[in-house]
This record gives sequence, structure tokens and C-alpha cells, in this order.
Amino acid sequence: MKNTISTPVDRLDGPDKASGRAIYTDDIRPDGLLFARTLRSDRPRARILDIKLPELPDGYFIVNKNDVPGRNRIKMLEDDWPFFAEEVVNYVGEPILLVVGPDREQVNQILKSIEISYEDLPPVLSLEDAITAESPIFGDDNSFAAYEFQKGDPDSAFDAAKTIIEGEFKTGYHEQAYMEPQGMIGSYTDGKLTVTGSMQCPFYVKNAMVQLTGFPENRVQVIQATTGGAFGGKEEYPSLLAGHVAMAAIKTGKPVKLVLERGEDLAVTTKRHPSVSRYRSAVDENGRVTAMEADITLDGGAYAGLSAVVLQRALFAAIGVYNIPNVIVRGRVLATNHVPSGAFRGFGAPQAFFAVEMHMEQIAAELGMNPLTFKEIHLVQKGDTTATGGVLRDEIKIREMLNRVLKLSDYRKKEGMFASRKGRFRNGIGLGIYLHGCGFTGKGEEIIQGTATVRKLAEDRAEILVSNVEMGQGAQTTLRKIVATTLELPIENIDYPNPDTDRVPDSGPTVASRTVIIVGHLLESAAKELKARWDENEVLSVSKSYRHPSYIQWDQDKLQGDAYPAYSWGVVAVEVEVDTLTYETAIKGVWAVHDVGVAIDEDIIRGQIEGGILQGLGYASIEVMDTENGAYRQRSFTDYIIPTAVDAPKIESELVDNPYEYGPFGAKCAGELPIAGAAPAYAAAVGHALGIPVHEIPAKPETLIKRVEK
Amino acid sequence: MVKTYHPETLTEALKIRNETHALPYAGGTDLMVRYRQGPGLVPAFDREVMFIGHLPELTKLQEKNGEFAIGACVPYREIIHHRHTPEILRKACSLIGAPAVQNLGTMGGNICNASPAGDTLPPLAILDTHLTLQSVSGERQVSLLSFFTGPGKTILRDDELLIGIHFRLPHFTAEGYRKVGTRKANALSKVAFAAFMLKEKDMLADIRIALGAVAPTVVRSRELENRLIGQPLTDLANLMPDLLESYGTLIQPITDQRSDANYRKTVSLNLIENFVLKEES
Amino acid sequence: MSQIISFTLNGEKISLETDPMRRLLDVLRDDFSETGVKEGCGEGECGACSVFLNGKLVNSCLVAVGSVHGMNVETIVHFKTTPAYRVIEQAFGDAGSVQCGFCTPGMVLAAYALLKDNPNPDETDIREAISGNLCRCTGYNMIVDGIKLAAKQGNGKW
Ligand SMILES: Cc1cc2nc3c(=O)[nH]c(=O)nc-3n(C[C@H](O)[C@H](O)[C@H](O)COP(=O)(O)OP(=O)(O)OC[C@H]3O[C@@H](n4cnc5c(N)ncnc54)[C@H](O)[C@@H]3O)c2cc1C
Ligand code: FES
Ligand code: FES
Repeated sequence: MKNTISTPVDRLDGPDKASGRAIYTDDIRPDGLLFARTLRSDRPRARILDIKLPELPDGYFIVNKNDVPGRNRIKMLEDDWPFFAEEVVNYVGEPILLVVGPDREQVNQILKSIEISYEDLPPVLSLEDAITAESPIFGDDNSFAAYEFQKGDPDSAFDAAKTIIEGEFKTGYHEQAYMEPQGMIGSYTDGKLTVTGSMQCPFYVKNAMVQLTGFPENRVQVIQATTGGAFGGKEEYPSLLAGHVAMAAIKTGKPVKLVLERGEDLAVTTKRHPSVSRYRSAVDENGRVTAMEADITLDGGAYAGLSAVVLQRALFAAIGVYNIPNVIVRGRVLATNHVPSGAFRGFGAPQAFFAVEMHMEQIAAELGMNPLTFKEIHLVQKGDTTATGGVLRDEIKIREMLNRVLKLSDYRKKEGMFASRKGRFRNGIGLGIYLHGCGFTGKGEEIIQGTATVRKLAEDRAEILVSNVEMGQGAQTTLRKIVATTLELPIENIDYPNPDTDRVPDSGPTVASRTVIIVGHLLESAAKELKARWDENEVLSVSKSYRHPSYIQWDQDKLQGDAYPAYSWGVVAVEVEVDTLTYETAIKGVWAVHDVGVAIDEDIIRGQIEGGILQGLGYASIEVMDTENGAYRQRSFTDYIIPTAVDAPKIESELVDNPYEYGPFGAKCAGELPIAGAAPAYAAAVGHALGIPVHEIPAKPETLIKRVEK
Repeated sequence: MVKTYHPETLTEALKIRNETHALPYAGGTDLMVRYRQGPGLVPAFDREVMFIGHLPELTKLQEKNGEFAIGACVPYREIIHHRHTPEILRKACSLIGAPAVQNLGTMGGNICNASPAGDTLPPLAILDTHLTLQSVSGERQVSLLSFFTGPGKTILRDDELLIGIHFRLPHFTAEGYRKVGTRKANALSKVAFAAFMLKEKDMLADIRIALGAVAPTVVRSRELENRLIGQPLTDLANLMPDLLESYGTLIQPITDQRSDANYRKTVSLNLIENFVLKEES
Repeated sequence: MSQIISFTLNGEKISLETDPMRRLLDVLRDDFSETGVKEGCGEGECGACSVFLNGKLVNSCLVAVGSVHGMNVETIVHFKTTPAYRVIEQAFGDAGSVQCGFCTPGMVLAAYALLKDNPNPDETDIREAISGNLCRCTGYNMIVDGIKLAAKQGNGKW
């Protein structure tokens, strides 16, 4: 039976967006607005010797490190990332100062007339450099974070192995490419700082502003403007921009806007970490993997940012969806003089899933086994343990889902038929099987203790007060639906204005696929209580704070136990056709089945699945970003290309119902999940078509042609 | 701020061009990108500009008995939708940018921009296209291939305008067009290929092959084509290795942020071979 | 050297003294507060800045305002008041075509540009018609569905 909560409704934010009425950051134009533009380092690593500033006309300002009222460090895990460079610059694009003024042409002229002299320092431009560098960028070994954990007794398993199979897997940069470039507006009136902009995490920005300014909390207000896509790109980076407009507003006393132009956004904002993963597996005489060793290295760029957590999530995903009794997982994220890498949908998991899925393909191939059968016999079941030794307690429907995908895609038949194909056009089909841990890792949710509030405004009206944002993913619809359904009110009668930190409690950031499962659940229970107490008062608020389910065990020092409270699951098959004249690939079909618990609105979920899969396919195929002397070579949408409607395949997609006890209406998570499987499925399909293993993405035609025509 | 002109007639435009050498602006799709500075900033044009995209004399497309005359400023959309447009040109034009760019961009702009990756150039090259260049002191006709002197460089004088593009649809039995782009639509070319073939009985009576984006200007060699012309079809396969080697030295692809030299070269040769032997593209 | 540039904007004749090389996009956003016209790339790639120029879809970031002298410019601000818009808005709503919305006004105009010329487009026509409008959120299929639905509900009356 279908849950009524799953029945799609029209998105409430649709008409304002379609008609152009919705107000995004750059659409806000307060009186007296000043514009800011950033002067950036053009060196990967250098000491700043001198900055020659021109005479400034009236009303124009320079804002730099000397204007930092409090601490010149963005509040994050390590606090190593400055708002403005101090003595040295560590990446091409690092902000040095702002030019601020009323006329953009003038601002630009001033910016161009500033001369900086540098003394170049030996840059760290690759992972190899990072290991061998004589003068490290971070700590004494250039390592932002390194972890290692084990399950079982991998050493003995490797000793007893019949075969040991090793492989190396690489993934490239991946740009979020949200359509709305990053932007912020700051204002400062009567001793109060207000920052408005495109963001995922109003309280990250607020906390960063408190540390930057040294102001008490009540003098800092952060408001989310309608946000034109984010995908993780607006998780930590907005704090940097917010700091810039904040300092400029405090200095000038006027509202100041800073909006990146596209080329700048591509060149200087965070991307998905490039990775190199080395895998080693012990296989017994029955073709079973008895032990797996994974060693994942990420390029963190110049500052630590969120890299340590990205690495953790990569490592937790290192053995994929497979039941491997003995495991050793190791990883580190290294400092380089590249733009800091950061959050992007999947947060480390896509790199790990690419590696482990391709490694499983590789083992099967080397054993002479069918990859699908090989994966199938290793799939986890309820009660099995994860890489960190956590127990998979909930119902797992992965086999049922896999069978459904095989059927929808006619997998077995195509697998055999394509393998024998000769001639110019070669087809291939590949599979990705994946999961995503919902919410923060380990005790993360317990530590941040998110609070959500539902407020009765009138007899037939209520309001949602949370710090989670709508950024396209559908929070406006799903969260309202949860509250409306619980209160038995029409969805239109639930207000959910864009978060303003002066009005909303801190329900945590809009990240980690936590909005529905964690915050939605808090809202559901707040709404339940509010409904029970509805007649108590005309206006009434109920707040709920997160409590960790007691069954979850986690040791953060050893990285052991339940890394996540729950998992969503997915299976995707991708069919491609490669033209062996040009090695261009066309995606002929995509079939996917997901378990997100219960869908709070099937249209919203379909939107997440389709968008996520296409983003993953782009990652695996045409989205190429690489560096030269530390700078990205692709600095425009002409060169960093994302799929168009013509590139995009049709996606046949289904859901299985698998309600989760602690999720609202049984929902788990869906935002990041669908991106994890598309890349390995694509790479496996291309490999199948050409009869070569594809261990590196993007699998661009330039690489394929070299490998085949050699 | 640069001075701009908005002439009403071609005569007026030529006069302005003669006196000021103002930069012609047709659809602006190359120019506005070349000079762009970012949101709220005026593109950094460094010379006077003359808008010519609206001039009635330059926006006509005519076909008479297989003779085509395309005004320099006819936008792609009109070329695509004109019923007599040769299929190969229609294909090339409909793969340029996307509809909104095709509504602005012109063939004259594509030619005068002289980008090695200009997508109209390979089909125009095999159509033996001639260009009409006009100035106050008169008119001259030049062949398309002699128009280019390097990437972004042409023989156009700064008192001249390109006004018309002329070709005659040849008789052929097979045609091939392939744009190998960065993606399936709205893409820039890594390699572009255009070819005609005329078979008569068992013999190759004519062949024309052009390649884009693999050398400083569009590549076409009558000399290499002549090696195939007049040959029996059964001999073509034997002639291929030498021919491909010659094409391999003729083209000089580069490595850039979109592709690499090895790829561009291998694909070019694959496309030539495949067309000559299988008539596919 | 400002010049007087006259054109019709959303049905109204206007004369503007400005630098003719300014981008139409900036003129619309800065001088006329037409913030429904978005800037996603500034180089003709994304379609967020789409407007109609003499009834044809163009990227306003690629248009120097001096070149529109004497022409007719229509933006989402006017288009949203038309019956055709309402059909498309409803279809986009029903099909779940909107996510972050940054691409949407441009998509709506591209959809109309297609349907006006080709009221019964097939899948390929639709995909080609919006190939200059990048969307990072949806994966496009739900937009394609929205346009199909609009074609059906518009029933040729464009
Ligand atoms: C998003 C996007 C996608 C694109 N995709 C492609 C593509 O796929 N393939 C491709 O080949 N190009 C592509 N282009 C480039 C461009 O659209 C074409 O080159 C177009 O044909 C240029 O025509 P235009 O009228 O816009 O040129 P303009 O920008 O007006 O002019 C280009 C140059 O030619 C000169 N010029 C123009 N007309 C004349 C004339 N009559 N006499 C003398 N000089 C003249 C100008 O002074 C200028 O130097 C793309 C551009 C964009 C923005
Ligand atoms: S802003 Fe004009 S096309 Fe992207
Ligand atoms: S809905 Fe976000 S870019 Fe299309």
C-alpha cells in the first residue's frame, strides 16, 4: 500500500521561481549599496613582499587583513584558513584584499591598478609533492588528517589467501556547478552585523562571523536568501564570503555586496577532493573475499576546511555494500597548494564507491568470474557488520532491489550480448550498488544537538522554525508536508520562511542528508505535541531537540561502532554506447531502484535521484577539471562542461518502501545517495564495452583512445 | 567608453568603416565573450564599434539553380530553416551553440572570427566557398581558404566588410559531417570533419575533405584529395596508409584544456579513413 | 559617449541614455530591476539570462544594448502575465520541473520559444530546444516532462 505522504504535491516555491519573482542574493539591492571585488593571489605559494595601492577616490575602500576585528580564521575544524592572506599566499585565487565602492567600473579599475610583488616559494602541486615536500604547508607532514581502523584479523586472512589482488583507482576534481554563483551581502547598523546570502548553513556562517568579529552573538544576524543550488558548495565556502562583506560593511557603514562571477566561482571555490585509492584483497579458494585493505588519499588543497570529515566518510564507505569479514582501512588527506577542496554531495563517499566497485569488478575479472555474480555473493545482509564494526540492524532490501534493476535493464541478456559485439559501435552495461549513511557520522548529531520548533500562529496556521534551508532539494515541500500532515492542516497553511538566525533555533546545517531524517523527525515530534496541546493557547511553540537513539554505539577515537544511525540504499545500471572512431560515449539507458525508507513526496525524491545520477554521470564522463601550476585549467562554463538536456539520459527509477523507525513517517535520507553509484556503473559499462578495465574517472575519450589504440 | 555606430545602410556602413576602421559587430556572440569583464561591467572593447547585424543588405539568403548567396549577417537559425540550405551546412549550423546562440550568431561572424574551431568552416571549405569583401573603393572575391592567415587572422582589410558568402552545391553521392565536441550539444569542437564523395561506376570521381580544430586554420588539401580522385574503388583501401600519413603531417593539433593533440590527430585520421572506405561519419 | 538607445521593453517604448556596449542583461537588471533575468555564466552557456529579442530567444549576456536599438525586447516580467506562461507554470508544477529555480525563468522562455514554433514537439525537439539552458538540479527529465505536459495542455494555442 502506498503511503499518502508519498503522493506528490506541487512545490510551493515553484511559481515564484518560474516567474522570476523569487529573490536571490544578487537580486537584493538596498539603497546605498557598495560593490566589492576581490584581489587574489596569482601564485600557488609565495610570500607577499609588497602591495602597491593607488590613491583611492572618495567613497572607495580597501579591506584587508588589517580590518579583521577579531580572528582572521574561518571557524571550522582546524581554524587554519584565513579570510585574507597574511604573509604568504597558499593557492592561486586566495583572497588578499577587497576593493569596495559604489561604482563597479571604478572598483574594477582600482583593482587592476594594484600591484603586488611576491617572492615565490616552492609549491606543493601534487600528492607526490605533498609527501616529499621539504617545507610542508601544514604541520610537519602535510597531512590534514590520517585515520586507520580494522575489523577482524586482516593479517591472518592475507596470509591464508589463495590469491591477492591489488588495484589503484583515481577520481578527479568535481565542481558543484550550482547555477547561481556564490554571493553575500553584509550590512552594519547600530552595532549589528547582518549577512544575507546564498548558503546551506546559516549557523556555520553566524559562528564564523562571531569568531571573525569578536562580537557577542546577539550582534550577528545571518539570513538565507533564496539559494540557486548548492550541492555542498555552499556549506563552508559562504563563511569566507560572509566574512569579506562583513568586514567591508563594518568598515564602510554601508551595505556591501560580493557576488562571484562564474569564472571566479569556478577558479576559487571548493570542489570535490581528487582521490587515489589503493586496494588489496585476499581471496580464498571459493572466490570469496576474506579480507580487504583500502588506502585512500585525498588532495585537500591549501587549508584543512572540512577535509578530515570528508575523509572519514570516504573511509566508512570503503568496503561498499559488501560483507567482508576482515578489513583494514587507512586514509589521509594531504595539503597541497591547490584551492581548498571541500564539501560536495556524497562527501567522500563517491570516491570510495568508485574505488570499491571497480575493485570488485577487477577481482571478478581476474578470477574469471562474472562481476555481477561476484558482487551478489558478497552483498551484506541484515545483522552483518560495517567496515567500522557497526551492526546493520535494519531490514536490508538490496537483493530485491538488485533483482528489480536487473529485470528493468534486461541486464543479464545485454551483458552477454554486448560482450561479443564487434564493429564500430560497442555497447556496455555496468552496475553500481551503494548505500549512504544518513545524517552526521558517529556522535555528530548528539554533539550538535539540533533543535527544531513548530509554532502555532492561528487556529489554522503554523510555522516551521529551523535553520535548514531550501536550496532546490525540496525542504520547503518536505518539511511543510511533514508538519502539515501531522497537524492535519493544508500544506499552504504552514509557513516556512527562509531561515534568519535571529528567529530560528539552530537545527544544524543543511548537509549530510540530515534535513528530513533528523530535522524532519524533530519537526514531526514537535508537531505531534503541538497538536495534542493545540487548544492551550492562541500562539504556542513546541521545540524538540535531538536525542541519540540509545542503541547507537560509537567510539570517535577508534572510529569503531555505528558510523551512522541509518542507511539508504541504491542500485543503478547504466548502459552506454561507445563510438570507436571517436571514443565518445552515449548513455543509452539508466535504471535505478532506491530505498530511502519512505518517500516524503515521490516527485521530490525523483528530482533528487535524477539530478544526483546525472551529476554522477558527469563526474564519470565529461566533467574534466585539472590543474596547471596550481590553477585550474577550466575556468569557464565553456571549458568545464556539465551535461545538457541532450546529454542527459532517460532514467527509469523506482523506490522500495522500507520504513525507518526514527525517521518522520518512516523516511531516511535521499539527497546524497544517488550520486554514489552512477560513476562506477558508468565506468564499468565503458569498460564492458571496450573490454578494458576503467580505473580512473573522468573516463574521457582522450584517455580511452590511448589505452585502446596503443 | 568606446564610440559606436549604428548605420542604416550598407553604403553608410562602408563609409564609417573606411573613415574609422570601427570593429564590425554582427551577432556579437564572439565579441561579447571576448571582451567580457563580469556582472555589471561594460565589456572592455578597445576600439570603436559598428553594429551591422541589422543591415538589410547583409541579412538576405538566396538560392538560384544551386548557387547560394548568404548575407554575412544572416543568423544561423535562418540558415537552418531555409529550405534550400544544403544538408551538411544545416547540420553544422544546428550544432553550433544552442538555439539562443543560433538566433544571434552569424556565418559572417564565424568566418571573420577565424577561430580554428569555427564550425561552419569545414563544410564551407568543401563547398569551395567564395567570399565577397567590400569597401568604399570596391569589391573583391576571395576563396574561403585564402581568407585565413592564422588563428584569428584574415586578409580582411580594416576598411572592408565581409558582405556575402557564395558557393555552389556540388554533385556528390555521399556526404559526411561529424562534430566531435566536448559534449553532445552546446559544445565546442575538439575535431570537426566534413566531406563529399562522388562515385562514378567503380571509380572515385571526386572527393573533398576538410577538418576543423586541428590546425591554425581549417584544413583542406586538394593535393591529397587528388591522390584518390580517379582511382578505382577497390584500390582505396591500399591507398589509405600513405594518405593518412600525409594527413597526419598536414594537421597540427594542439593540446589545450579541452582535448589533446594525440586525440585530435587519431580521431581525424579515423574519421577520414572511415568516410573514404565506408562512407560513414 | 553615452548614446540614446530606443527600444521596446515589454510592450513599452523606452529611450535610454547609456553606453551602447553595456550588456542588455545589466541594463535589464540594474536599470529596470528585472531581476527575473539571471546571470549564471555571462558567456552564453547557461541560458539563465534568456530574453526574447524581436520574438526570438537570445542570451541577454551576449547582447550589447546598442544593438537592440529599434527592436523589441520581452522578458519574463512581461511573459509571466500571459496565458501561455500560466500553462507552462502549471505544467512545470505538475511535472516537478522546478528545484532551485535559478534556471527556471530561462527554461520557461526556451519552452515557449519551442512551443510557439512547434506545438507538438517530440522528445528530441524538446531536448534540443533547451540544450542552451543548463540545469544542475533536475537531470532535465522532469523539465522535459513539464514541456510535454505544457504542449498537451496548451493544445496548439500558443
Ligand atoms: C555559448 C556559445 C556557443 C558557441 N558555440 C559555437 C560552436 O559550437 N561552434 C562555433 O563555431 N562557434 C560557436 N560559438 C562562437 C560564435 O557564436 C560563432 O563564431 C558565431 O558565428 C559568431 O558570429 P557573430 O555574428 O555573433 O560574430 P561577432 O561576435 O559579431 O563577430 C565575430 C568577429 O567577426 C567580425 N565580423 C563579424 N561580421 C563581420 C563582417 N560582416 N565583416 C567583417 N567582420 C565581421 C567581428 O568584428 C568579430 O571580430 C559559440 C559562442 C557562444 C557564446
Ligand atoms: S548568463 Fe547568459 S547564458 Fe549564462
Ligand atoms: S532547478 Fe536548479 S538549476 Fe535548474
